[in-house]
Amino acid sequence: MRRSTSRRPWLAEGPWAWLAAGGVALSLLMVIALLVLLAGRGLAHFWPQDIEAVTLEDGAQFAGQVVREQGLPGEVDGRERLYRTGNRDLQGAQWRWVDVADIDTRATPEDLVIVERRRWGPFIGRVVALEGPETRWTVEDGDTLWQQLDERLNRVSQLRSERDVVRTQYLEPLAERLANGEKVADDEDELQALKARIVNLQEAMQRDRVVLESLEGQQLTLTLDALIDVTRPNAMSLPAKLSSWGHNVWRFLSEGPRDANTAGGIWPAIFGTIMMVLLMSVLVMPFGVLAAIYLNEIAPQGRLTRLVRIGVRNLAGVPSIVYGVFGLGVFVYGIGGTLDSLFFADELPSPTFGTGGLLWASLTLALLTLPVVIVATEEGLARIPDAQREGALALGATRSEALRRVVLPMAVPAMLTGLILAVARAAGEVAPLMLVGVTKLASQVPVDGTFPFIHLERKFMHLGYHIFDAGFHGGDVESAMPLVYATALLLVLVILVLNLTAIFLRHTIRTRHRVRTH
Amino acid sequence: MIDRYPPPAPVRRRFRDLRDRLFTLLVGACGIGVILAVLAIGVFLFVEVVPLFGGDTPASETQATTEIDFESLWLPQQYPDYETPRYRWQANVLSEDDTPMFSLTPLAWGTLKAAAYALLFAIPLALGAAIHSACFMSRRLRHRLKPALELMEALPGVVIGFVAGLVLAPYVERHLVGALALVLILPLGLLVAGVVHSCLPATLARALSLSRAGLWLIPWLALLVALAMVMSPYLEVVWFGGDMRAWLEQQLGLDYAMRNAMIVGLAMGFAIIPTIYALAEEALSGVPDSLSEGAQALGASRWQTLWNVILPAASPGIFSAVMIGAGRAVGETMIVLMATGNTALMTLSPLDGMRSMAANIAIELPEAAAGGTHYRVLLLCAFLLFVFTFCVNTLAEIVRGRLSHRYRRLGGLA
Amino acid sequence: MSIRCRTALLLWILLIWPVVGTMAQAPEGPVVGNLDSIGSDTMAGLMLRWGERLEERHPAVRLQMQASGSSTAPAALAEGTTRLGAMSRRMTTSERETFEAHHGYPPVEIPVAMDALAVFVNRHNPLDEVSMKQLDAIFSDTHDCGAKRSIDRWEALGTPDFAGPIDRHSRNSVSGSYGVFRREALCGGNFRVDVNEHPGSSAVVAAVAATTGGIGYSGIGYVTVAVKPLALRKGDGPAVSPSERATLSGEYPLSRTLYLYVNLPPGERLPATEHAFLDLVLSPEGQDGVRESGFIPLPDMVIAAIRQAMGLNRPWGEGSS
Repeated sequence: MRRSTSRRPWLAEGPWAWLAAGGVALSLLMVIALLVLLAGRGLAHFWPQDIEAVTLEDGAQFAGQVVREQGLPGEVDGRERLYRTGNRDLQGAQWRWVDVADIDTRATPEDLVIVERRRWGPFIGRVVALEGPETRWTVEDGDTLWQQLDERLNRVSQLRSERDVVRTQYLEPLAERLANGEKVADDEDELQALKARIVNLQEAMQRDRVVLESLEGQQLTLTLDALIDVTRPNAMSLPAKLSSWGHNVWRFLSEGPRDANTAGGIWPAIFGTIMMVLLMSVLVMPFGVLAAIYLNEIAPQGRLTRLVRIGVRNLAGVPSIVYGVFGLGVFVYGIGGTLDSLFFADELPSPTFGTGGLLWASLTLALLTLPVVIVATEEGLARIPDAQREGALALGATRSEALRRVVLPMAVPAMLTGLILAVARAAGEVAPLMLVGVTKLASQVPVDGTFPFIHLERKFMHLGYHIFDAGFHGGDVESAMPLVYATALLLVLVILVLNLTAIFLRHTIRTRHRVRTH
Repeated sequence: MIDRYPPPAPVRRRFRDLRDRLFTLLVGACGIGVILAVLAIGVFLFVEVVPLFGGDTPASETQATTEIDFESLWLPQQYPDYETPRYRWQANVLSEDDTPMFSLTPLAWGTLKAAAYALLFAIPLALGAAIHSACFMSRRLRHRLKPALELMEALPGVVIGFVAGLVLAPYVERHLVGALALVLILPLGLLVAGVVHSCLPATLARALSLSRAGLWLIPWLALLVALAMVMSPYLEVVWFGGDMRAWLEQQLGLDYAMRNAMIVGLAMGFAIIPTIYALAEEALSGVPDSLSEGAQALGASRWQTLWNVILPAASPGIFSAVMIGAGRAVGETMIVLMATGNTALMTLSPLDGMRSMAANIAIELPEAAAGGTHYRVLLLCAFLLFVFTFCVNTLAEIVRGRLSHRYRRLGGLA
Repeated sequence: MSIRCRTALLLWILLIWPVVGTMAQAPEGPVVGNLDSIGSDTMAGLMLRWGERLEERHPAVRLQMQASGSSTAPAALAEGTTRLGAMSRRMTTSERETFEAHHGYPPVEIPVAMDALAVFVNRHNPLDEVSMKQLDAIFSDTHDCGAKRSIDRWEALGTPDFAGPIDRHSRNSVSGSYGVFRREALCGGNFRVDVNEHPGSSAVVAAVAATTGGIGYSGIGYVTVAVKPLALRKGDGPAVSPSERATLSGEYPLSRTLYLYVNLPPGERLPATEHAFLDLVLSPEGQDGVRESGFIPLPDMVIAAIRQAMGLNRPWGEGSS
């Protein structure tokens, strides 16, 4: 290969140099491809996509959104297309694979709607009429129908939030108070009044009805409280679509999952992840830092310490599932079971701490990330020039004073780096959590207004586990997939931001110390 | 209250000393406690596993116990229903007369096979990347690029596993020919890039220099990959008569499982590239400059210097990088769980699936009643994983320690 | 304040203000507490849908659901990490014994829905039916149902223009579907080693949907349009598709009942949250959730009988159960 030309030799650095360069390029390409895939699929899901009215060769009609297209097996040119057709209650399935060759015409009429419902997934078809208590609007009324529908949907959502307020702010605290035995004379009347009010609100929500018709000709009448949203993507302008996209993203981040985790949002999972990571940080930081100080500043620097250091360092490489096994065996079955039989014996057989929960998950992950924090902190401590310590001691400080006033403040960035790396690792770890306390659904976040506010014994949802669960355990893979992509994107973003912060911090301390020592 | 009359110096001194000693004691106790707690993992697993081999320990409660010893775990066993002794893992028990089969050999096999394929994929890429960035890349670019590759390490296994299992595996199955062709196309493409590069006019060649090849090769490789995928069905018709799976089966006797060792190797390789890269790069760039400068002064090219001087000097570091990568691959749970079919097979074929110990624990531990044989066998798996990774990492750590010692000696005080 | 005390007072309140109104709409007496459940993956969607409905009725109930497989339920019930277990098969005798050894009494078994374990192939596969014996020959390597030899290729099933090796997909051993399939379709024999074991039903469906030569099984609720359920033939009888009628009558060979198991000491009452949950499950609204999840509701008569036996017709707390 090394033939000289008049200008420069071919492959001047030899073939291997180019292959080595390919290593960098290919690794980066894979990272980029992964991120683009997640971002593309995850974010595209929230875009209000056009609904097609498809007529097949045999004259049959249906409406749906194109999901994807792929080659038919065994044929080079044949393609098949997946449509999301909704209407699971009417058709029995909400997806449809169509051979592209069978399609006669495709159109996007403006009156097609996609209706998000509380039950049975979306409806795709036409709105025939809107029925109020007195009036009835039909398609002939044109825009009036859509305006009325919007207004009435808003009314229902207002009523719903009012009902939720009554429930969560009045009814539940009252029930809780009564349950705790703080009885006041007129509580009984109040309870009845609240209940009546909720019944009224619910009836008001069911006042209006909408008549829908699928393209196959089946009609369906729904009360407005069964609806979440009605959109006409084909009639939307670009800005309207953009704002709808933003709205959908927001709902994904702020709502709980619906429809057996195949729709809705991931708020409980976001919150659960954050809670667990925070709790883990609180647990891991003091212990990690103390252990690092001990190893670096106090322990005699002999062979034993060196061995311990290697041991601790190696624990960072022990598979996370092993920590999960430890957590299950020691924390849940061992300590949790004992706690239950000592302090919560009344509750048994309902477990309190004898089952996976926030506390045990955080503890397990704290143990898992302890080596990370110890190593990072130790690195920071070792970087501090001995002159600093000696100076402090020479001025008459005791060892503890020198440590607290001089050494530790200088090591703070290193500790932060350790913490952030620990958090990034914990946020992405799933295997041990599967054994010690994550759930596929924990509808309410483990923090609320009742004492002791943070409920350590409760289970929680987790972004990483949600990915696994929705992708492999979920009900309908097709509907869950976009949400899985979006969740994965969010998780990756969170972890990337955390890691970037750690890298930035590490960079700053390195430059700072370089300046100081020179 | 303001202390107008401070106690005489000796008392204060003693008070401070006491506080100091207390503080030291506290930190010491905490530190030792934490370290003990961390090391307790090994002890816990060991203690839980011991009853398995205790022989005469009575079964806790009414759990079905099966005789477990070294032989039944690792050697082929004669199970009812089968004519020949074999390795089987089948913990599920339907009724009383059903015997669970606890053979760890297929699980260990699967674990090592997954790790081996991951290393097969990761080592060339990671070492190539490390060599390139340590020896060819400009310093500034390296400082930018290293964090980018480090970020790769932070990508959670569950995301990689999900993409590998639900996206990549079906895709590769549909574009099998193209995907396999990439093994040839990509290296060839790189060499072509090198040849083309030497024919470029000088200004362009400087802009697209080798030291920046890590960046400008990306679109070129992306183009090659896309081409291979588009061409895949046509290649399949031309080379394999339209059905590569049938061809594989007839010609090579290989059965293609959708979630196979190849996919796992790719996914887990992806996950361990950054680990190997970071450590190998550290080892390579840690080689004292005096060595490479000397070689280059004697007229060696950059590649010759690298091959004859730097690589031998850094080889222990590279070895330890690979070891640590292997340790990570052995213990990775989610990727194997999601990207394989979890079939406890004992084949070498890259087109078959496997079941790893870590994934097996994640799947079966929740169903195993605490204290039962199944539970303890799973804990034994965890213990083996613990011991294995601990040993591998310790070995790597010791080698690394030696290496930095050697560099210090070689490089003098520089 | 201990939760027992709270429960006692709640009981007292409910005694004084009996729940009024119909089951479907009226808000009942507030139920507060955690509801844990561990168990079947097949029933995961079902449990979630019931959970969503329960939340609408009782917003203060905190649901915590885990679902990785039926076999996790007996272990968790015995260890006491949950009081409510969902199972897509019946407990085995040894699981029952383990439970009794821990607690001293048997668990309470409540049928909640019907399911047909559907055997399906890729949508491009022309095959429409398969006999139970063939299923055994496809999935098993012990052939306890009497098959002479394994079936490895589609041609062997009588599809001349659809050739190729069979890709077998199954749940993992934690699953109740795995147990039922092993018992009913493999006659208690063993699965082949090269059967892919997936962590969830939807993963099985996804795998078969993505592989042209795939075959797999799962609860009927997970079947999508990407796969095609097969009609099953038992002995010389006709091929039966997994329809609602055939499942309820038991004609479909792999029909099964889905259960909830409750840890309930004899003579004690169900805790309020569990009571509310079971009340919902065994109501028209709950059975509508069964249909929404794609499973088959229990006949009304059966529901009525179970409600009677469980004491669910009385408001919670009235008398002892």
